[in-house]
Amino acid sequence: MKTRLCLFCLFLSLASGLMAQELTMDEIMDKYYQAGRFDKLQQVKTIIMTGTLVQQDLMPVKIVRVRPDKYMMEFDVADMTAYQVFDGQTAWMTAPWTGNAAPQVLPPERAVDLKNRSDMDGVLYQWKGKGHTLELAGNDTVNGFLVYKIKVTRKDGGIEYQFIDQKGFLPLKRLSYRKAGGKEVPVENYYRDYRDVEGIPFAFTVETNNAGRINEIQFESIELNKPVDLKIFSLPEKK
Amino acid sequence: MQIKLFTISTLFVLVTTGLFSQDVLQWRGADRSGFYHETNLLKKWPEGGPNLLWEIDSIGNGYGSPIITPSVIYINGEIDTISYLFALDRSGKFLWKAPIGKEWTQNYPGTRNTPTIVDDLIYVTAGLGTVACLDAKTGKKRWSVDMVTDFHAPMTRFGFSESLVVNGNDVYCSPGNTDTNVVALDRFTGKIRWICKGLGQMTSYCSPLLIKLPERDILVTFSKSALLGIDTRDGTLLWSHKQDGEGDVHINTPLYENGFIYYITGDGNGSVKLKLSADGKEITEIWRNPVCDNTMGSFIKLNDFIYTASYGRRYWYSMDANTGKITDSLKFDKGVTIYADGMLYLYNEKGQLGLIKPNGPRMEAVSSFKVTRGTKAHYAHPVISQGIMYVRHGRSLLAYDIREK
Repeated sequence: MKTRLCLFCLFLSLASGLMAQELTMDEIMDKYYQAGRFDKLQQVKTIIMTGTLVQQDLMPVKIVRVRPDKYMMEFDVADMTAYQVFDGQTAWMTAPWTGNAAPQVLPPERAVDLKNRSDMDGVLYQWKGKGHTLELAGNDTVNGFLVYKIKVTRKDGGIEYQFIDQKGFLPLKRLSYRKAGGKEVPVENYYRDYRDVEGIPFAFTVETNNAGRINEIQFESIELNKPVDLKIFSLPEKK
Repeated sequence: MQIKLFTISTLFVLVTTGLFSQDVLQWRGADRSGFYHETNLLKKWPEGGPNLLWEIDSIGNGYGSPIITPSVIYINGEIDTISYLFALDRSGKFLWKAPIGKEWTQNYPGTRNTPTIVDDLIYVTAGLGTVACLDAKTGKKRWSVDMVTDFHAPMTRFGFSESLVVNGNDVYCSPGNTDTNVVALDRFTGKIRWICKGLGQMTSYCSPLLIKLPERDILVTFSKSALLGIDTRDGTLLWSHKQDGEGDVHINTPLYENGFIYYITGDGNGSVKLKLSADGKEITEIWRNPVCDNTMGSFIKLNDFIYTASYGRRYWYSMDANTGKITDSLKFDKGVTIYADGMLYLYNEKGQLGLIKPNGPRMEAVSSFKVTRGTKAHYAHPVISQGIMYVRHGRSLLAYDIREK
């Protein structure tokens, strides 16, 4: 009886896998756009996300995005406030815990990540127009959920993987790579606790595994279309 | 005869304890236990929290708590790298401020201790090593020493963070040098009374405990990898209790009750109960519980149970004080615990204040709200005085009315 049950489960999972494989990339993307309410998201000009960055300490974090390409992450490390910013052209950051609080302009290879984060819609939306290529890399599971594994080759040449839930069609994971010490280091982001904000689903918890260093951002509020002073993105003048 | 002796000695203890608690205001209440002996406080908070009476937002950066006399609030804060002691009236108006010394700003910038007031004198430290005595009425400095230059204290990773203990004519400080590990100073002059070499280890940010036994008084504090018991008559190291962890952060003040010492450290053995011999010269470990590894939020012992947060797991736990076994848990992240009028006050690092009813082995969550004012990390231990709960959040001091009307 147990053997029969196992065979039946195997059949079901194979069948669902086969069914999942039957969707084309465009069909998967269509469902992803619908699930993510990208029609509504296009009306959003600003997003302000505030919450807590959970590492060893619990520290405040704030992320501000402004269309088309501005991004700022304000966060505290050792109770000192730091910034990672892309102002549309220049990426800069501060790291006061190093003893140097002065802003540093990032070289192009390090600016890529911040520039990508400034895309409010993410890498998958209108990917063709953005010059990216997508490839279905099969099925996978994320925390027990069956997902489409999509390989993204970005216009800048970088490669990342997006893992889209096969039922809800929301992203559950992103795997990207950063360069450190001449090596490609994997960075995994896990998206959890989706909640609707003005009809658009947002992940209120994002866990990051950066080569074994794990942190989690727990958002407490996500506000849309609130006024944002664009000066916050500007590289501060040296004193 | 035995009854008479017992009655007289009990009366003596009560009277001296009463005098002690009247004369000394310090870190985590009169006896450093986190108990605030208040009555008629709210047993449930309204939505959004109790009424905020006032806020001042210019006390400088810091994590230390206020101490509060019937007419004056004392609190310290860092402004432009200098540590100041501020005196405010009970409505939050500034009376004066006095510079103490250079403050720690390399990480977690700000003042990191709570003043101790004895009669008309206040004792404070600054993060780069100043120990100072000030006139409580005027803020005028009576004396100061620099633990780095005077006692060759090695600089710590997070700045000097000790809330000073005063005992009789002495005040104690912990430079953490091999030769000058713990030092007793004459509290009226700042002159050295004795020096304890301890185990020659770095200091570990602990605000010590004073145990008063019939035979001797014992200063209980931590150095890098040990709990130390020091005879306050001459600085003799009586005993030590080794910490198994790798770290050097042992902030929480231990607790003494009925012949037993309790301590909790996140960088060492976790939660521990020790038996202290009647003469104070020996300790025996009774139990330890590594799960309850609170780093700097301290704990409350109420009757047979201990309440504290686990820093690794980010839950609150109650523990049986007789066995060290966990009896209940509560998801409320991690942080600080104090107690007043039958209720636990939890203040977590997300800025949420929780009102919890301790029910023996169980904890019952009653109310909570978020502190939205102030700056930076939510580390300071709240203080309750005359029905007002004072919460320091970075540069702000907030006064909440928690009186039952």
